[in-house]
Amino acid sequence: MKNILIFTKLTVKEALSRKIFMFFSGVSVFILVLFAIIFLSTDLEQMLPLLSMSKAGNVNLVYELVKAIKLFIVTPLFGIGLFLSVFSVASFIPNMLEKGSIELLLSNPVSRAQIIWGKFFGGVLVVFFNLAFLIFGLWALIGLKFAVWEPSLLYSILTITFTFAVLYGLIILVGIITQSSILAMMLTYLIFLIISPVLNARDKLALLINNDFVNKIIDVLYYIFPKTSELADITVTTATGGTITDFQPVVTSFLFMILTLYISIIIFSKKDF
Amino acid sequence: MISVEIKNLSKVFESRFGRTKVQALNNVSLNVRSGTIYGLLGPNGAGKTTLIKILLGSVYPTSGSARILNEDIANYKIRAKIGYLPENHKFPPFLTGEGVLRLFAELKGVNGKDINNKIDELLDLVGMLKWKKVKVKKYSKGMMQRLGLAQALVNNPQLIFLDEPTDGIDPIGRKEIRDILINLKNEGKTVFLNSHLLSEVELVCDRIAMLDKGNLIREGTVEDLTTSKQIYSLKLEKELSPGLLNAEIFHTGDATYQIKVNDTAELNSIIDVIRAHGINIISLNPKKTSLEDSFISIIEDSNKLTQKK
Repeated sequence: MKNILIFTKLTVKEALSRKIFMFFSGVSVFILVLFAIIFLSTDLEQMLPLLSMSKAGNVNLVYELVKAIKLFIVTPLFGIGLFLSVFSVASFIPNMLEKGSIELLLSNPVSRAQIIWGKFFGGVLVVFFNLAFLIFGLWALIGLKFAVWEPSLLYSILTITFTFAVLYGLIILVGIITQSSILAMMLTYLIFLIISPVLNARDKLALLINNDFVNKIIDVLYYIFPKTSELADITVTTATGGTITDFQPVVTSFLFMILTLYISIIIFSKKDF
Repeated sequence: MISVEIKNLSKVFESRFGRTKVQALNNVSLNVRSGTIYGLLGPNGAGKTTLIKILLGSVYPTSGSARILNEDIANYKIRAKIGYLPENHKFPPFLTGEGVLRLFAELKGVNGKDINNKIDELLDLVGMLKWKKVKVKKYSKGMMQRLGLAQALVNNPQLIFLDEPTDGIDPIGRKEIRDILINLKNEGKTVFLNSHLLSEVELVCDRIAMLDKGNLIREGTVEDLTTSKQIYSLKLEKELSPGLLNAEIFHTGDATYQIKVNDTAELNSIIDVIRAHGINIISLNPKKTSLEDSFISIIEDSNKLTQKK
């Protein structure tokens, strides 16, 4: 456990030294300042001309407005946040596996599995903190402005971090096999941006293809690949106060993550460096 | 006591689909006694680094076994008692010199309270104390090497593996490193040294192993490997009469000769003839060669043998 913690700490330090994470944090600060200025310079009375009509009506309108703001925040944040996060962690494993670096790490009393877990938790932790900083800040600004302290927006910290963790498992696996950050990134973006949305629309595809065998394959692929598209829907639903009705995308994506990490550890443990 | 015990160790590297096979080590067996400096020599591609990597767990052997400090190399926990400086090592560039030592001290399980003192002590030892707070990405090759040596000693190891420790270091720095190695030996630690600088190996090592194409071709003390058993330097009281000796003999100076013999019996018969003619022998010494000459000669002999096969 101690060794995992050391590698987690090292990965966090590595991430913090990267310009991309500085950029990430800079953008977060910029967004928070922007929202603060917008909220300070706008009058709620002007935004809601119907506010004076009835108290009950006001509450609903405020909630609707807050919901719209949350939707406006979470939808791009899921895509852009994950895109930047994948980009910034893709080189963690290839860098570690460089000649002269990996021999040093392996000459310590640590198991190879501990190194992988440390790298994994480190990457996830950094993304979690970045997201938490931005989303908690936005949640606090919304609360101060609209006096709505309902925590649903905060759930998106967990759902986006979870989606990142699923993709990060794949990045680690590809990184270990190919030692290429570019390939790891390309494959992850392919799944995140193309395969998952396409497979999510498998019902519509089935109507178009009209071939049982192909449709079965698509079904199998759907259950194998991580469901980033559905996780995006879940993020938006929970952030705007809705509840998750189907946990299947979460469970199968979690299993995908465990499987990629397990295979990564097996391959890493058998490899000569 | 034996610190490193290697038995019939072999390693074959295979390409991804097994189309190409490279025998990096072939049935290598050797023992390293505790409290000695053991040198590993060989031309490029001889298998030296592979051997060290197997002992330290970054490469798996194809066959054979090895134990370090009486533990099988598969037990990774034994590495808490080992220090290692790989060739062309890379430290995380975002860490300072102090950060690097702290990281490896933590990984080696050094007690938290002792780390700060140990870091200063080691950085001072390798002459890097004033660079403690500077990020390693700004270090020169020589500075990286010095920090690497400090890193290898951070856990006060019983056994230290050093792969080209003086690479990129100036002559004064090399002398300092040699002194550190000798001090380590005096403290009872075992040093396993892999170096291309044969003059350095000759100065510090107690025993040497020579590898070539994955085979262990010679092993012994520096004395064993640099002393010729066939060529002797002979100093007499007076000059020999021409044709007195029926042997390969060369006049090298004032009543001084170099004799080449096939065995000690031939050497003794030559001595008998000289003494029979009433000539006093002032000195008779086996010819010493530099380690470099011995190394080249042994490798050439090995190559000839391989070609004959």
